[in-house]
Amino acid sequence: MPVKWVLHWQPNQGSTVSSQILNEATQCVESINGVKEGRWKATLNYYKPLLRDQTNQAEFPRDFLGISLADQPNKYYFIIRSQRIVVEADSSIQLIMERLQSYKSKVALYFEGFQYQLGDFRLRVGKVVPTHSENVRGIVMEVEYLPISSMEKSRKVMEEFLEIWHEALSKRSLPGKFVNIDLNFGEFGLGDNYTPQHTAVRYALVMAHMIATVQAVRG
Amino acid sequence: MECVVQGIIETQHVEALEILLQGLCGVQRERLRVHELCLKSGPSLGVVSSEVRLLCDLDQPEPTWTVKHVGGAMRGPGADQISVMVRTMVESKVSKNALRMFNALGYKLDHELLKVGFAFHFQRTANISVSVSSVNKMLKVHAIDEAVPVTPGMQIVDVTAPATPANYSEVSAAVSSLCEFLAPLVHLSKPFNSTGVVPTAAAAAASLMSDGGVTATFFFTFIRNNRIHPYTQQQIETELCQRTSIRGYLV
Repeated sequence: MPVKWVLHWQPNQGSTVSSQILNEATQCVESINGVKEGRWKATLNYYKPLLRDQTNQAEFPRDFLGISLADQPNKYYFIIRSQRIVVEADSSIQLIMERLQSYKSKVALYFEGFQYQLGDFRLRVGKVVPTHSENVRGIVMEVEYLPISSMEKSRKVMEEFLEIWHEALSKRSLPGKFVNIDLNFGEFGLGDNYTPQHTAVRYALVMAHMIATVQAVRG
Repeated sequence: MECVVQGIIETQHVEALEILLQGLCGVQRERLRVHELCLKSGPSLGVVSSEVRLLCDLDQPEPTWTVKHVGGAMRGPGADQISVMVRTMVESKVSKNALRMFNALGYKLDHELLKVGFAFHFQRTANISVSVSSVNKMLKVHAIDEAVPVTPGMQIVDVTAPATPANYSEVSAAVSSLCEFLAPLVHLSKPFNSTGVVPTAAAAAASLMSDGGVTATFFFTFIRNNRIHPYTQQQIETELCQRTSIRGYLV
């Protein structure tokens, strides 16, 4: 599978994320000759344990996520980032979790937007919104380099692309920037060959950063 | 949802059962070597306590994992009239970290088993799977190489077929029909409702093995006056010559 980086919008201190920034980013892709291919959507769920005794809450993970990816409609991914666990399953695992009645999705978010082809790259730019709201909580951008599945081999070309992207975006004087987070996939038992599980872990990390940003702004 | 029946058979008759199944199913058997881990939720987790099974298929070049949730069986007068158990069941293929994940979520190992044997998967109105296996327990956690039989000399026969609320009647009927053909060797009934081994199994096995048992033979049963009579190949040929009114079930 092609290597993919998942960037998220980091607003400057004192500014917030909005639909306007998403529009600007989308227009920027089109200005560098990105060809619109259609819409994309991913869904993320935060799960919380259902406990008969709340005093034991600390025993259970607080960062248990489930995510369905646009590329993999029949699969579902679980991540417990603090314990470096990622699991790929069939979509039916969601029904199993429902029947177990031990964990419940407390927060559900959509990542949705437009997908573009740009030479050997596929770009997806999208907003992060709660499932029953239009409030933009964040902006993400997937950058996929189609010819290569090795993360090491693709690193240089991805970095060069991002330089071009940052330069194009800087002309719009937006109050923030897109950020890529490097992480050690080996800790999750994942290798150099890119897989959807890598994407799931990336999204979990993006969410952790977005939450930290929101909390810092509120603080 | 699935339809399921179970039975037990003495190990000495398993070869005869395999011959019978080979003839009935018309497909090659598959080896079965599955490590089954039964996990239960911890004391305070969940609205009610819950159980989930992890199955690791060890017969593949790279072990593959499945998560399975078995729910309650259908109850009531309708269920009592069906000779198979109809119960909710959901399963999902899952990557190898599933056990670590469920442990992290608060699920603990309740017990584990190693099932070793063979299975037939075929289509007869429904997708039916018949497995015949010895059930082995581990003396140390996850020590599958040191597993020992739970009941030496006995094996379990499982017949399962996926079903939906719309078709469980047809699927149940298909499973029941198969059970009738296996009746001379093994009595299949709803799980937890075992009636033990079949007293005529030895004779039936001898009949099946009497032609050498190397190649698959057809074990004909005839329904005459609504009674099922097991026959050997020679007796069947004789009957066919004499009685044209008998329906022969070549399966």
